[in-house]
Amino acid sequence: MRTRAAVSAALASAGILIAGWQSGLHVADTGSSVASAAAGSTGSSGSSGTSGSAGASGSSGSSSSSSAGGTTGASAKAVGTYAGSVVQTRFGSVQVQITVQAGKITDVTALQLTDAERKSVQISNRAAPLLRTEVLAAQSADVQTISGATVTSDAYLNSLQAALDAANL
Amino acid sequence: MQPTSELVGPALRARTFGSMGTVISLTVPAGAVPGAAGGEAKLDAATAAVERVFAGLDETFSLYRPDSEASRLARGELCLRDSSAGMRDRYADALTWRLRTEGAFSPERPDGVLDLSGLIKGYAIGQAGEALRSRGITDWCLNAGGDVLVTGSPVPGSGASWAAGVVDPLDRSALLAAYELGGPGTRCALATSGSAERGDHIWAAGFGARTAGSSGAEFVQVSVAAANIVTADVLATAIVAGGTAMLHRATDGWEIDVLAVRRGGELLATPGFRA
Repeated sequence: MRTRAAVSAALASAGILIAGWQSGLHVADTGSSVASAAAGSTGSSGSSGTSGSAGASGSSGSSSSSSAGGTTGASAKAVGTYAGSVVQTRFGSVQVQITVQAGKITDVTALQLTDAERKSVQISNRAAPLLRTEVLAAQSADVQTISGATVTSDAYLNSLQAALDAANL
Repeated sequence: MQPTSELVGPALRARTFGSMGTVISLTVPAGAVPGAAGGEAKLDAATAAVERVFAGLDETFSLYRPDSEASRLARGELCLRDSSAGMRDRYADALTWRLRTEGAFSPERPDGVLDLSGLIKGYAIGQAGEALRSRGITDWCLNAGGDVLVTGSPVPGSGASWAAGVVDPLDRSALLAAYELGGPGTRCALATSGSAERGDHIWAAGFGARTAGSSGAEFVQVSVAAANIVTADVLATAIVAGGTAMLHRATDGWEIDVLAVRRGGELLATPGFRA
């Protein structure tokens, strides 16, 4: 029993070590692929990776290599700035740029965020002050129903909703 | 009262009945109810189904009925653990909303009595909507004392939205704004709460027994459009009770549009209410 436990524990430890080694290898792979893609700048289709602005930090390395805006460093070492493709989001277009030095991303900047003025209001959907002339105007003849603070049965009789209902009875 | 001839727009048929201390209106496109007597009977049957939903919930939850389960709880004759599953479920809903609104919405009155009326009307509207759907009615507008839920369109098949008006709290015979409900949009519920109304069961958060209507409230009226009526109703109530801070928490945390009227008549609105 004891030996069996010891053996399985050893196996488990070995498994963890192998998994760790593999993931390390994987990271190394990614690093080298960024470097080679940047140096060669043959780049496959660059647009695949980054979905929206959030993805910029993670996967932009490999995805933006094909951009025309990139000024590839002269040396074999991957150095330069690379602009990602423009991605359409619910709030407008987003485009990011990365700076690569020695195969590592050292900076990510936003070339284009959603339209600065009005769209940014929509992102947070904040309620802002406005004039009565700026709201969607309505005449009681143009609406099919009316929302208001709860009316009692008595108050209903003189309400706009009662007028609408009476017209449709 | 407005003569029928002045009303333009889609031809509609409406039925009304009283429940929960207010009047409930069910409106459907005239096309959905063929002119024959059969169509009218169908609308009457649908209205009866909606009325049963409201009556059933009012019987359990009304604090105006001495014999209701809610009244027995309020008098201490019944404790919550012995109450019906429906009562406990709605109480659980209300507590969840109290957490989500950081206390701005509360199911307990300042005197300690459990009062779920801030939630029950919205819940009843939603349940009534399910009843209509289960009857295969695809285009309707349900209005319970100023809280509105719609499905489909006033012109069946057109995809057009229902046009809802929002009452001007400074002149209740006029409309302050319009909002396109349903149609291509996902917001098919619109609820309005006011601090000047009696029976709204709004208490300014953190101020003990002072009611919102007695001068504490920043907003005299708040309208919220959302994907479901309970969310719209609870958040409208919470914003009246919790003021500007709650308004911003609500617009940050939920997919809603808000039109709030300050005491002096100034407006605050999300882009959805802008012309």
